[in-house]
This record gives sequence, structure tokens and C-alpha cells, in this order.
Amino acid sequence: MNRVTLRKTLISCALLGGALLLAIVSMSLLGSERLPARASLCALASLGTRACGLTSDQFDILFQIRLPRILLAAAVGGSLATAGAGYQALLRNPLAEPYLLGISNGAAVGTMIALVFFGAVEWIRPLLAFTGALAATFAVYRLARGRAGATPERLILAGVIVTTFLSSAIVFVTTMMDATRIRSFTFWLLGDLSGTSKALLPVAITITILGALALTLHARSLNLLMLGERDAFDLGVEVGRVRVVVFLVASLLVGSSVAASGSVGYVGLVVPHLARLSLGSDNRISIPAAALGGALFVIVADTVARTIIAPRELPVGAITALIGAPLFIYLLKRV
Amino acid sequence: MLFVFFVPFVAPCAPVSRRIQTVVWLLLLAISFGCNSGAKPVLDGPARVTRVVSLAPNLTEIVFAVGAGDKLVGRTSYCDYPPEAKAVAEIGDTLHPSLERIIALKPQLVLISTSSQLEVFTQQLQNQNIRVFVTDPQDLEGVFKSITQIGEMLGQKDQADVLVTKLRERANAVEQAVKGKAPVRVFYQVSGEPLYTAGRDAFVTDLMHRAGITSVTADVPGAWPKYSNESALAAKPEAIILPTGGSMGAANSEVTEALRQSPAALRGRVYKINDDYLTRPGPRAIDGLEAMARALHPDAFK
Amino acid sequence: MNPLLEARDVSVAYDHRIAVADLTLSLNPREITAIIGPNGAGKSTLLRALNGQIPKSSGSITLDGQPLERLNRRTISRHIAVVAQEAELRFPVTVLEFVLGGRFAWATHAGWGWETERDLEVANAVLKETELTELSSRLMNELSGGERQRALMARALATEAPILLLDEPTANLDLSHQATLLTLVRKRCDEHQSAALVVTHDINLAAQFANNITLMKQGRAVHSGTPKEVLRPELLREVFEVRVLVDTHPITGGPRITPII
Repeated sequence: MNRVTLRKTLISCALLGGALLLAIVSMSLLGSERLPARASLCALASLGTRACGLTSDQFDILFQIRLPRILLAAAVGGSLATAGAGYQALLRNPLAEPYLLGISNGAAVGTMIALVFFGAVEWIRPLLAFTGALAATFAVYRLARGRAGATPERLILAGVIVTTFLSSAIVFVTTMMDATRIRSFTFWLLGDLSGTSKALLPVAITITILGALALTLHARSLNLLMLGERDAFDLGVEVGRVRVVVFLVASLLVGSSVAASGSVGYVGLVVPHLARLSLGSDNRISIPAAALGGALFVIVADTVARTIIAPRELPVGAITALIGAPLFIYLLKRV
Repeated sequence: MLFVFFVPFVAPCAPVSRRIQTVVWLLLLAISFGCNSGAKPVLDGPARVTRVVSLAPNLTEIVFAVGAGDKLVGRTSYCDYPPEAKAVAEIGDTLHPSLERIIALKPQLVLISTSSQLEVFTQQLQNQNIRVFVTDPQDLEGVFKSITQIGEMLGQKDQADVLVTKLRERANAVEQAVKGKAPVRVFYQVSGEPLYTAGRDAFVTDLMHRAGITSVTADVPGAWPKYSNESALAAKPEAIILPTGGSMGAANSEVTEALRQSPAALRGRVYKINDDYLTRPGPRAIDGLEAMARALHPDAFK
Repeated sequence: MNPLLEARDVSVAYDHRIAVADLTLSLNPREITAIIGPNGAGKSTLLRALNGQIPKSSGSITLDGQPLERLNRRTISRHIAVVAQEAELRFPVTVLEFVLGGRFAWATHAGWGWETERDLEVANAVLKETELTELSSRLMNELSGGERQRALMARALATEAPILLLDEPTANLDLSHQATLLTLVRKRCDEHQSAALVVTHDINLAAQFANNITLMKQGRAVHSGTPKEVLRPELLREVFEVRVLVDTHPITGGPRITPII
């Protein structure tokens, strides 16, 4: 594989960006209610200024329910994949992923606390989710610190401990809820993109873009970190600073996703892996590619989740797992 | 014998009418009771039961309603009606009742509602010579039957029969009042974010039908499906029912985002009804039936 | 000539004990300094303190006249390059990409940016120097041990740093590669006025290539000087607690050490 150049990166991102746009448009034609394709495309092209013959209900379905949901799916997918790519580079482990490291669960606990105690105030959710993610990161890192520093193996082990501990905490909190709440929480925990709050959507999208940008700007440092902390230090990388940035940004990305939609698993694991396999390990290309690819992946998975047993819905996390797990096994075999 | 317990579990999957299901189930129950030789769960003689434990709120309400409240020695933490029930010892919640506590109370009979409780407990309770009675009414007729059966088991047959007659009268009165009225198209919102509704197999769907209501989700498979926002919007219900209050507190008191522009919301036809009336298949289901009918067909009750 | 890197009375506490105590040494241009001593003598710790990775607890380390603590990471990396024993190769990377990593310290935007023409020039030159040009598009984990070590060397050389710190660079190499590597270092020092510090177990190799040798024991520099001055049986016995025979190498004329078992 040739080394990565600016040109190669721009071309790949343009292609993926185009595919993403295509997905947004085409998936907004699918849903539990049938919408006339031509009129919908016309309305989309006009960016919602013209109804193009859609009834007011159809228009609302397209622009108030479907499109925001698809955009949220893109934000969630982009965030989780970017966070995954960041963790994998920083921790030098292709298996590092927000869920496995307990970060998702930390964010989930934070969100649950926000929901139970501050239910009405929406913006507290991503805030507490971020705090939870950060707390989990801190716990994992402290647990993993041994004499030889936090080796990737110890980090994964610590992550598993923190994940399982937080999972039990989540189960404990759910047992204190009544039956109806439990049902909806269980669904949410598996990933639920149906509750799109109008106010939080632009926040989620902004965080995804800024987060991906922030990590890409550290891509060269991450390239060196991927090959050893000590080597990176010797070659001029401010390891401590980069580590803090990646942990903070990744926690923000995971917190924002989980607060919006619960735990959508496998995205942070499979998408960055695919990006690296097809485009190389250079983070300058694989991080933006993971962000775009993650958005694509979750949009498609969510479309399946909301159409396959229409008018009922499945949790999107179930679909990402169904696709992600076999895909991951296949990837493992190839490597 | 075990097969019987799985029927309520499996039956909703088969496209068989609820009435036939209940009959088949009772038939099998009767047959298996009859066929069992030496197995403890055979109920012999109503006066034998002096200590009973209930593992579901609706069953607790039935026990008190048939006048056997003094025989109740154990209840779940969710069993909060009637107020006298709160004086009874708690044995945990509906999902994880404590087997030890149940056994310590030395009941002769345990009333069970859900199939999940079944699998865990039946065998262990039987090992302790404690009889188990399962009833999970799917509709109003099922409730009447449960009341009758529980009344018999607890030696309150007469009182149970009187109660069922009264309840039946009230139900018939409602159905008569709304007969001939155009059924109202209603969306039943179990929770808003995320959006859950009552499906084909939900108990409340039968109540709605009797109250002169067409639930827009009456054909959706399952009991409490998670529903698509789009389809809710497209359904354009004329009215929305929000089960809230009771043991639920203030939760679910707002119409979900997707329905805020529906004919129901725009015309203010949003009705909050005590959740306990609608989700506990017991005597207060009639209160729920009446509340819904009055809310949706006010002119029928002048 | 001024020393490129100077350590004065440096002590380093590491792992709850004093790893290096009151050590003084200076690295001058065109000189190879070898650090020799038994395991646990503090050699690697010293090396790590010299490039700032492990903080010193007392004394002074100056780089080009400036105290090391005052300089930022990138500046240090432009002056000091480290060649370690092994690379962690958990992700696939080509030899060229690996070597280009050495140009990081020269990137204009910290953490981001693309390699310049100059970067590529330097990388290719260095690949030629280490005889890796044909392997430049192969993956690092496809290389043999010796080839990988050369790549590590190439990366360090690509930094164009005048000071090279080598931590047991020949530990995993066979004879031919050992010689090649140190010849490279020698060449660098001679042609580019670089200074090199080599931590090694191989006394004879040190004897051949080093201008100065420092014997370390329990964190202290017990003897320093030219190979002839330092590699004497009684001094070696003091440091290694083993009897050795020191004679003159028939070809190089320098000391040749053989342990007496």
C-alpha cells in the first residue's frame, strides 16, 4: 500500500462523503409509512422549502421524524467510530472500543442518573453522560496502571472489569424501576434512535464534527503512538498531552452518543477496523474515514431497525450487533 | 403438567381468538389437574386454604375483592390496593420475589400471574408442598373467570359470584350505552419517549374494544410493542389515552412529540386515566372501562 | 569543542530507589561513548534521563548549553534521537512510513500535517545509508530481526539529530549485523559531527568502536576514559565481579576482553 498523501485522503473522504449523502437521501425514503418517492426527493432537494405534492402529514413524517432521526444516526455512528479509532490508536489495541472499555456504560449510568433525577432538563443528560464516560475512563486508567505503565493488555482487562461493574450498577438501578420503565430502559440500553430531541440534535452533530476534527488534528501523533509510547515520546510526541486530549474528546463523543441513543455497540470496533484494512493504518486517513463510515453504518442499521417489523421497532444496537459480530469474526480471520 | 403453563406463553403467537385460547387453556388445566395423581397442586376443598400469597397486584386486588383479604399473608411491593393490602408482609417485587420469604410465611397457596415467575418458582414451591395457581387474564372474561376461581379456592365462592355478577352488569351497561355510537379512533400511549403502545395481546385492548373505541394499534402483534413515530403520526387518532397516575405517579402525562399535531391533540381530546385501572386485570378494570367510555362517549352517559 | 550534551552530578530516583547517583559525563561531537556495566547498574535509566523521559532528581543536564527541563519535547527530539531494542508493531506499517516517523519533530504543525519534499529526501537518503531501499514498501513485521533494527536506526537517523542514544542496539543481532550497525554509527559521528552514547553488554564491540567508555556500577560512574585506560582486569573485576583476561586484539590493536570461567 502506498503511503498516505493529502490527495489520497481528500479523494477517500470525498467518496465516503458522497456515499453518506446518498445514504441520507435514500434512507429517508424508507420507513414504516410509505412516502411517494418522487415527491419526497423533490421536497428533499428543495431542502424542505417546497412540499412538492406531499400531504402535510407526509411532509411532517419526512422532515420532522425521519430526517432528524437519520441525522442523529449519522452523528451517533460518526461519534462512536471516531472514538473507537482514537482509543485503538492510543491504546495500541485493535480491540479497544467504547463499550469494551466500559466508557459506554459509564455514559449510560450518567444518563440514567440524569433521567431519574433531572428528567425534565434535557441538556443535563449529555453533560452527565460525558461525566460518566470520563469517570469510567479515569477508573480504567487507574486500574490499568502497573509497574510497566498501562500496557494495552492491562487496559483491556481493566476495561472489562469496569464494564461488568457498571453493567451490574445499571441492572441494579433498573430493578428499582417499575415494569413500564424497565421495558423502555432495556430497549434504550440496546440503542434507540427514536427519541430525537430537536434541541439536542444540532449539539450532537456539532460534537461529532468537532470531535472528529480534533482527533484528526492529532493524527500524526497518534500514528507514532500506535507504534509505542516510548518511541513516540522519543520522536517528539507530547504523550501525556495527547493522551488527555484523546480521552477527553472520546469521552465527549461517547457521552453525546449514549445520551442521545443509548449504547449502540460494535460501531467503534468494526468501522475503524474496516477503515484501516482498506485505507491503511495512517490515522490521517483512517480517522476521517471511520467517522464517515460510522455514520453510514448506523444510518443503514437504523433503517433496518425501523422498517423490518414495521410498525414496530427494534433497537438499533441489536442490528449493529447482528451485522457487526459476524463482520468482526470475518475481519479477525483475515488478519 | 408443565405443558399447561407454557400455553399462555405460546398461545399469543398463534392467530387464535382470545376466547378460544382461554377455554382451551382452562380445559387443559382441568384435564391436567384431573390426570395428576399424587401431585400436590390439586386443590381439595375450599376451606383448606387459610394462608395465601399473591405475586401480582391484580391478584391481590381480587383476593380482597372476594372478601378473603384476611387470608393474604404475603404480597409484592407493588400491591398497593386496597389500602388494607399495605399492612400485609412484602415478599419482594413482581419480577424477583423472594422464595425464602414466601416459604417462611407458610402459605398453602401462591397466586402467580406471569409466565416468568412460573418457570422459576413452580417446581421449588411444589417441593415445599405449596400449591400454585396461575392466572393471567388476557381479557375481561378472563378476569371474571379468575375472580370466580380464586373465590372458590379461598372459600368465598358466594361473594365471588356476587362480585362477578355486579361487574358484569356494569360492563354490559357500558357496552349497551356505547352500542350504535361511532367508535372513536384512539391511540393508547404507554410511554412517550420512547414510544410504546398497546398491541393485539394487551389486556387493555379488550377493554377499549368494549368501550366503543377502535385502538389504532389493535392489530399490532405483541402486548406492548415499541411503535414507530411515523406510523403514530400517520394514524391521525381522534383521541389519545394516557395511562398515568396511580402507582405510576406523574410519568407519561404528556403526549409524545409525534402526536402533538394530531387531530386528538389539536382538539384537546387527550384523556388521562388511572394506569392501575387499565393494566391490572382485576375488579378495577371495570372502573377503567367506565372511565374510558365516559371520556370518549360523554353523550352516552348523560 | 563544546559538548553537545552534558550531565553533571546527575542523580535519578526510579522505582523507589536511587538508580543513578552523582553521574557526570559529556557527549562531544565525533565521539562514541559506551556505557558498560552489570544488570541493574542504571545504564538504561541514565539513557532515559538524558533524553528527558525520566526526570532527574538532582544535578544538571544541558543540551547545547540549555537546561534540558526548559526545552519542549519537539526541540529535544530534534537534537536527541533514541534507538531502542524493539519496536511495538501492533499495526501494519511499511518501512518507508516507519522511517518517515522520524521526521515528526520537524513537522510545522504539531500532530498534523503532511510530509514535505525534504522529509522524503531525508528518508530516502537514510534508507540508502542503512541499505533498506529495496525493502521500503514492505511491511515492518515482514522484516527479519536485523532488518528491523536497521529500520529503527534509519528512523533515528532521519531525525537528523546530532546526538544518538542507543540502548543495547546489538542485543538481538547476529554478528554481521552488529558490525554493520556500529559502523553506521561511527560513520555518522565522523561525517556529521554527531555524538553517540551506546549502552551495551558487548564489551569487545565497545572496545572497538567507542572513543570513551564509562563503567557503571550501582548507579555510579566508577571509571571513565579511553578503552585502554578503562578496560583493565582489576577495574573490570571490581565492576563485574568476574575475572577477565585482557589482551591486545591482533588486528585492531585495542583491548580484547575474555572472561575467565
